[in-house]
Amino acid sequence: MDELLQLVVEGIAIGMVYALIALGFVLIWKSSGVANLALGQLVLICSWFTYGMLVQRGLPLWAGFVLVILFALLLGWIIERFILRPLIAQPILSLITVTLGLGYFIQGLVVFIWPWSVGSLPRLFPAEPLHIGTAVVSQEKLWAAVISLFLFGLLSLFFKYHKMGIAMRATADDQMAVQACGIPVTKIFSRSWMFACVLAAIGGILMSSIGGITFGLVETGLKAFSVVILGGLNSFLGAIIAGPIIGLAENLGGGYLTPLTWPGVKEVIPFVIIIIVMFLKPYGLFGEERIERI
Amino acid sequence: MKSKKLIIVSVIICMALIVALLPLMSACGPTVEKTLMIGMSTPSSGKAAEKGAPMGHGNLDAIKYVNEELGGVAGYQVEVIWLDNGYDASKAATIIKRFMDEDCLFFTTASSAMMTAMMEIANRGDFPGFACFSSPALTHPPRHIYGQTPDYGDDWAAFAKYYVENIWEGPGKPRMALHLLNNPTGYGARDAARALADELGVEIPEGWVMEHSTTTTSEIESLTKFKTEKPDILYISSTPAPTAIIIKNAVELGLYPGMTIACGHASFTKALVDLGGADIVEGVYGVYPTVNWGDDVPAMAKMTEYCNKEHPADYGNMDYIISWAQSLIAVEILRLAVENVGIDKLTPQVVEEQGFKKIKNFDVEGLHGPVSYSPGDNRLSKSVRIFQIRSGKLVPITGWVEAPLIKYEDFDWYGK
Amino acid sequence: MDLPAGTRNYSYAQDMAILRTKTHWALFLGLLIFIFTLPLYLGNYWLGVANLIGITIIAATGLNILTGYCGQLSIGHAGFIAVGAYTSAVLTNRLELPFLVGLICAGLTAGLIGMVFGIPSLRVKGFYLAISTIAAQFIIIWVINHWSSVTGGFVGISVPYASIGALTFKSEGSQFYLIIGLTTLTVFLAKNLARTRVGRAFVAIRDNDLAAQVMGINLFRYKLLAFFIGCFFAGIAGSLLAHWIGFMNAEHFSLTESILYIAIIIVGGLGTATGPIFGVIFIRLLDQILTMWVVPFLEETFTVLPAGFATGIAPMAFGLAILLFLVLEPRGLAHRWQLFKAAYRLWPFSY
Repeated sequence: MDELLQLVVEGIAIGMVYALIALGFVLIWKSSGVANLALGQLVLICSWFTYGMLVQRGLPLWAGFVLVILFALLLGWIIERFILRPLIAQPILSLITVTLGLGYFIQGLVVFIWPWSVGSLPRLFPAEPLHIGTAVVSQEKLWAAVISLFLFGLLSLFFKYHKMGIAMRATADDQMAVQACGIPVTKIFSRSWMFACVLAAIGGILMSSIGGITFGLVETGLKAFSVVILGGLNSFLGAIIAGPIIGLAENLGGGYLTPLTWPGVKEVIPFVIIIIVMFLKPYGLFGEERIERI
Repeated sequence: MKSKKLIIVSVIICMALIVALLPLMSACGPTVEKTLMIGMSTPSSGKAAEKGAPMGHGNLDAIKYVNEELGGVAGYQVEVIWLDNGYDASKAATIIKRFMDEDCLFFTTASSAMMTAMMEIANRGDFPGFACFSSPALTHPPRHIYGQTPDYGDDWAAFAKYYVENIWEGPGKPRMALHLLNNPTGYGARDAARALADELGVEIPEGWVMEHSTTTTSEIESLTKFKTEKPDILYISSTPAPTAIIIKNAVELGLYPGMTIACGHASFTKALVDLGGADIVEGVYGVYPTVNWGDDVPAMAKMTEYCNKEHPADYGNMDYIISWAQSLIAVEILRLAVENVGIDKLTPQVVEEQGFKKIKNFDVEGLHGPVSYSPGDNRLSKSVRIFQIRSGKLVPITGWVEAPLIKYEDFDWYGK
Repeated sequence: MDLPAGTRNYSYAQDMAILRTKTHWALFLGLLIFIFTLPLYLGNYWLGVANLIGITIIAATGLNILTGYCGQLSIGHAGFIAVGAYTSAVLTNRLELPFLVGLICAGLTAGLIGMVFGIPSLRVKGFYLAISTIAAQFIIIWVINHWSSVTGGFVGISVPYASIGALTFKSEGSQFYLIIGLTTLTVFLAKNLARTRVGRAFVAIRDNDLAAQVMGINLFRYKLLAFFIGCFFAGIAGSLLAHWIGFMNAEHFSLTESILYIAIIIVGGLGTATGPIFGVIFIRLLDQILTMWVVPFLEETFTVLPAGFATGIAPMAFGLAILLFLVLEPRGLAHRWQLFKAAYRLWPFSY
């Protein structure tokens, strides 16, 4: 029973961290229909920038964070302006490949500027874990979960009520109609990429405080895809709910299946879930099914 | 249209001439002074760049030192073809062919994974080489590939022996749990445990072998069951980031301090202390085959000088030490070969017979255990040192401990 | 294909011929002679590069059929190559079957597994399919790593020399003939596939699969067939790769490899027969030039530059190449080649 509680708590906490990264992906998909496969690398470069500010320059925490947010905004703007804009009407293969190429480029850039592949941020949260009954959960994961929920709430409200959010949803639905209404579509793309990069930066900082800055951040980005697929590509609610589900599946599966099958079964669970979802409910739990007409 | 035909014909004639003259062009080059040519390859970009880049620097700086200050080997300069294999197996396969084509005498690599990509080609071509970090697949069965330091299985064996002899106080056998990285680094420890656990007096109960990936963010689910089952030691064979996470999780669950935790040499570096936090990893044991920065050994002064001069960012990185040592060993092999046979008769096979196999008790200026070749054992250095983290510093607690030779090829569960 | 003025086609066969005029035949035979005499003057290293290029062309052709002709996005190609490589390794090493059996079985196994993982293509398209192929790759690699009784697990498995009957392919030159022979066969098959009923069905599915279904093309059958053919070629390439390197380890097949293959077919030109060839040659040569000459040169002469300069340059150059190609020439090198041929034909006239 103790074990079950521990696994459940840990699963939910870790799942919320995945959900945070997934939110960034959903944001871009929801507003421009582009699949951002460079998500992991964006998280990586923002984390390294944080390292650069806090450790190399030795700036105080608040100054470092403000600079990281500004950097993320600038990065998003640059990516949209110079890489995505020339490819606006291209088929989806080109768009996906361009994000792959971008990811490759960012990885090289990271090695170029910060040639150590492991970095650690100064401790942001106290090391004492919190006790929930007999289970323990580290403060970093708890904060990550709380921040994800907060951001989720913020994004949902933004997309529902704020003028810019409504414009973003409209653009994802029908670009030409939006242009006919006089809304500058390019500005909307710009804004969505900028916000997504900020989300990636926040996710990066939280993940680096859990496990350090390594190239593993890129692979965790891949696990975020399974969250996105399960939850539905264009649903924030889906991301927040699917995140803990994947986390739970990983932990419970890892905890209980491992003695029965092989060690390491935990690694493959998110990907098996993707395949199962593809067979059963391809658009995810909360995703919108696109009806195609000839 | 006549001019077009003329152009086509002239282009074809030019290309035919170039193609015909290619072999001639490569044959006559300027005559150069005799040098000793070796090939070195490190994964300086890509997945393993954290270790590969400093190792490339260590290799090249040491050779620079030998060429500039010691006048080369027996008066001949050592020429190095250094290539970055990017942790990509097919690229590594082309690199080894480049080394063989350019008449290198032998080659060195940093990582054992890249060596597996190169070793068949090298073995087939009777081209010797050695790798800093070794794994059983490279040296068993022993052919033309040598391991500079004991492999991850040897780490486990050395620590298990030390633990049973010096730390274990209870009756009966200590119970050990293994947490392995999902690649040869991790599984090397498991294979050694399979071979030697009974002999050394260590018990590894069923289901206590766990696996994790390099990108894991939390290992709580695999450590939870130990809250009730309480192992005596947890041996982690992995790289710094996952090891830090496992130790952090163990502390969170209240398992550590309490049991002993030990790591293999792939994770036991300063990065572990940085990532985990000095207070979390206090008291963790580790195995490492070389000395640490600042230890009082003959090579330390020159190595520190060159490191600070050429690549100051690498100071404090243990991988730089091991690759500096690798270059020193390479130079010693060349020296023995030239001494025994003379520079004119050197070929890769001769260097293997007269250099690799004749090396005896070379102490690598104190940087790691003495290097000796014994027939049937392709490990060049067989000893490691046990360390413990005290107040954020890696402190050695033993001298050179020899890791026993494990003849994996005798076990039928060991693949071909 | 654009033909010179004055060439008239009097029969269907003449109209559909790939090599129509005497010039075409002459150039083609010249190319074949050039390729097959390469081992006479290239050293081991360049032959090794040529072998790698040949193997990559086979795999890229498979991916081109799947993604370029049929439009099914697949970012898990390295996983299917791994299936082929390991099948061949296990059959020749553990069961000691002859090389040809291993080769064909490698292709068939990879094709079948590709079909299994291609089943989601019947329900989803585009990005969803891409993600499920990425998942497929991870699952395949995981199974290879953990099924140690068969595949040697993490330690890896060694692969004996390829041999057909009494002929063992030991030297680089002999392997070159084997690989280039199979490569020409593959490219020939792919080029002809595009001209058959199956190929036309693929293109119809790519352009608009609903319309294709309405016209009577059985989507189920053709999509799975595309996966089978694409992954069959990947399996063949994998088998050749296994025998060429001599030792197989799952670490050789990462997601980065799969992404590289997508980059190759895009840079080369999607949906053309010569596209994969251009793409592979460009990317592999770029790789070799960066590794062999640029990086050591930078490392030695510019030690004053920050430590990560030389080693970060390679991935940056690759990413930049991909980005520039997509932004500036999305139809790839094959399109440029067509433009060049057309301009040459019409030179000195500007149209």
